[in-house]
Amino acid sequence: MSLQILFDALSLGGIYAIAALGIALIFGVMKLVNFAHGQFIACSVFALILPSADAVAVLGLGALPAGLLIPAILLFGAGLAVLAEAFVFRPLRNASPVALMVASFALGILLQNLLLVTYGGRPKAISLWPELGQPVRLLSAEIPLLQLFVIGAVGVILAGLALMLKRTRIGLEMRAAAEDFGMARLLGVRANRVISGAFALSGALAAVVALVLVAQTGVADVRMGGQIMLVAFIATVMGGMGSLPGAVAAGLALGAVSALLQAFLPPEARPFRDAFLYGLVILVLLFRPQGLFASASAKPRV
Amino acid sequence: MSKLGVHDLSVRYGKLTALSDVSFTVAEGERLFISGPNGAGKSSLLGAISGAVRAAHGRVEMDGDILSGHSPEGIARRGLSMVPEGRRIFRALSVQENLMVGTGLRRDRAAVADDLATVYAAFPILHDRRHANAGALSGGQQQMLAISRALMTNPKLMLVDEPSLGLAPKVVDEVYDRLVALQAQRGLTLVIVEQSSARAARVGGRMLLMRGGRVVADGDAASFAAHDLLSEAYFGDPA
Amino acid sequence: MSPQPTTPHQIRRRMAATTPVLLALLLLAFVLAATLLGDRATARMAAETLIRVTLVVGFWIFAGNSGVISFGHAAFACLGAYTSAWLTLQPAMKTLLLPGLPGFLAQAHWPVLPAALAAGLLAAALALISGAAILRLSGIAASIATFAFLAMVNTIWANWTPVTGGTSSVVGLARYVSPWVALGWAVAAILAAALHAASASGLALRASREDEVAAAASGIDRYRHRLLAYTVSAFFCGVGGALMGHFIGVINPDSFYLSLTFLMLAMLVMGGIGSLSGAVVGVLAVSLAVEALVRLEKGVTLGTTTFALPPGSQEILIALAMILVLVFRPAGLLAGREIMLPARWVTGRGTSNQ
Ligand SMILES: Nc1ncnc2c1ncn2[C@@H]1O[C@H](COP(=O)(O)OP(=O)(O)OP(=O)(O)O)[C@@H](O)[C@H]1O
Ligand SMILES: [Mg+2]
Repeated sequence: MSLQILFDALSLGGIYAIAALGIALIFGVMKLVNFAHGQFIACSVFALILPSADAVAVLGLGALPAGLLIPAILLFGAGLAVLAEAFVFRPLRNASPVALMVASFALGILLQNLLLVTYGGRPKAISLWPELGQPVRLLSAEIPLLQLFVIGAVGVILAGLALMLKRTRIGLEMRAAAEDFGMARLLGVRANRVISGAFALSGALAAVVALVLVAQTGVADVRMGGQIMLVAFIATVMGGMGSLPGAVAAGLALGAVSALLQAFLPPEARPFRDAFLYGLVILVLLFRPQGLFASASAKPRV
Repeated sequence: MSKLGVHDLSVRYGKLTALSDVSFTVAEGERLFISGPNGAGKSSLLGAISGAVRAAHGRVEMDGDILSGHSPEGIARRGLSMVPEGRRIFRALSVQENLMVGTGLRRDRAAVADDLATVYAAFPILHDRRHANAGALSGGQQQMLAISRALMTNPKLMLVDEPSLGLAPKVVDEVYDRLVALQAQRGLTLVIVEQSSARAARVGGRMLLMRGGRVVADGDAASFAAHDLLSEAYFGDPA
Repeated sequence: MSPQPTTPHQIRRRMAATTPVLLALLLLAFVLAATLLGDRATARMAAETLIRVTLVVGFWIFAGNSGVISFGHAAFACLGAYTSAWLTLQPAMKTLLLPGLPGFLAQAHWPVLPAALAAGLLAAALALISGAAILRLSGIAASIATFAFLAMVNTIWANWTPVTGGTSSVVGLARYVSPWVALGWAVAAILAAALHAASASGLALRASREDEVAAAASGIDRYRHRLLAYTVSAFFCGVGGALMGHFIGVINPDSFYLSLTFLMLAMLVMGGIGSLSGAVVGVLAVSLAVEALVRLEKGVTLGTTTFALPPGSQEILIALAMILVLVFRPAGLLAGREIMLPARWVTGRGTSNQ
């Protein structure tokens, strides 16, 4: 039982962390709170299937073998984010963070309705990697194979991202730009390259979330990115806007709290789990407005 | 041909004119000090040259190429480097990472390694602290880091804004000694904002005096130190 | 006779006082035109537009003065709509639809006006409580928290079935909202917004928006001014929500979620968040454009062919327009200006003494 909760917490928290990283990366380099991120996720989900208004989805890209499908869908997410940057956010490069945020909200609504027009509004059943639904016995618990895969993948992604940020040229430039974009540019760091890079990464992370959501729920729904984006926002605020380790830590913490609430709330209160979660977060922020994981001395960046 | 040419350069912040129609040239290998009271427009001038601040009008040329209108990174890539006011080091990055940020525009890896060795030789303390967070350095060390970081882009022309600000006189001496040595070694052209004309005179070079967004005097730094022009600029009536 | 205003400051104040009057007259003209010249559908469109004026002006009281974007105001409309439904529905209907209502509410059968006031007051109370937490955060973080608040309210409403009916609609609300009723509330919202904006608290709040540094020095005051604006603002969004319910006659939680948030935000941004007139003009402009789109979605026959836009294209076009406005006219249609009478009219002389 408790092992089961641990795995639930890890897999849920891992996905929240990945989503939160997607938000924090972009906030870090350009102070944009990207309200379109949830729709990057939803679009990546629908990229798996062929356009139609039917209730059961016909796999398009999704029919590829995993070895091709995963890179293809990551590329799709990255490409979508890069295009969004080029057409919407680049013209707003000098706008205020508030204007950027409002624009991203509009972009999210735009993408959502494009999906509605193309695929219809009803959720669709979609079967991706059904063999991952099998449970595995681990000590005293039955863990779905998918959960193990998710936890493994999250670990690999976090490690890879950390390495990339620490060891590569673009990683160094992103970290420098996140701290002082103007100074980085004075040292020859190309703004467009860094920002496109951050969007590409963020979009690819959105695609990862999309794959996991589809495999877990077996549904494609236009609204499916919204809830997770909100949790990711909350994680970035709690992690101290723009701090990547903070976002990961807060994402994991939120996953743990969710799993605990799910396990210990009385059944009639379970539908309200997310409401409890959001309420809890607002309470936490009351006491630590600068975020849970930001050091108290860190100056507010917003 | 002059290394740097500034022609009728003006900067405005809203209604406030911070720099009005400033013109001057700097020769290859020259050391130019810019002095003047607070708010004279010195930092705005450097900002407009480096592309960090948008000029209202006017033109900046380096080696005869027009820099105006290019992005800051584009200007940096043409060989201009800047040590800005307040140093602006990347506090969350290590010392060595700070030094490497500006090397993205260089292709010659061996030369980058050489330059790293050069700045570490010039400022051994940076070598000792190379894996430490830059935010943990003292003010003087941060200034050395900011100068070294600018050097790592392999500039032909370097702009340095008030390297002496907030440092003890002994440390300022040290910073200038290294700066002068590096300039000689690499054939750099230097433009330095320095409030103290006495300091500028001791280091030696040419000096521009600014006031109210204009250049009011131009000459040898040594002649300024004694001259009363300076006190007039600070305390006199704007006529 | 009142003394002539002499100082530029007095003249400014007089000019500013003409803004709500002019806006009210503009809306009156709009209603007259729609009811006298148009058909029933046009009258309905006018009523709907004026409800939105109430909502968006309410929204502006907070967002316009504080500069903080809230995504949570649709939640106040939600609470307002359900409050009015709880208070006005036939008790027999409520035992059927909402069996979980507490006795007092289950029995209540209020007239519509007190119910609308109660809707506003309850929304204001919710704003006071939630704002006390949310508004301690700085700009962007506060915006995110308002979004979490919206999601929280929506989750509760969609799942608290015995009291809210859950995701199924609550039906049978008295459809009393004519263009004139809506006009009354819209004008009330405009007056309140103008009064608040001219009050010491409103002025201080706007000053804090324009000068972050000075504002940070008096963070506590800013918090109190924000909270006041948030509460007043929620009152009119609560009323607006009640009006929405009694306009259509049917409510469910999803009518007060992202699409409403988006619509309110789009209207405010396109009109210009910097002025009250911008909020009003934004509603009118977007509503008229939407009306045109709705007719296009139904199809326009040109000669022998019918052109129709697919459903959903309305939001797509509004979103596109919004992005274009942000890029090319970031301050919105009115760019922060107020509609007001020129100086020489309010001084009553032939000239202004500038
Ligand atoms: N970002 C800005 N926005 C508005 N006004 C500015 C800005 N930067 C500088 N100014 C104004 O422009 C004028 C020139 O400022 P600048 O920083 O160039 O002077 P300075 O000579 O470098 O002064 P100091 O010796 O204090 O560094 C000042 O009046 C200053 O207030
Ligand atoms: Mg300066």
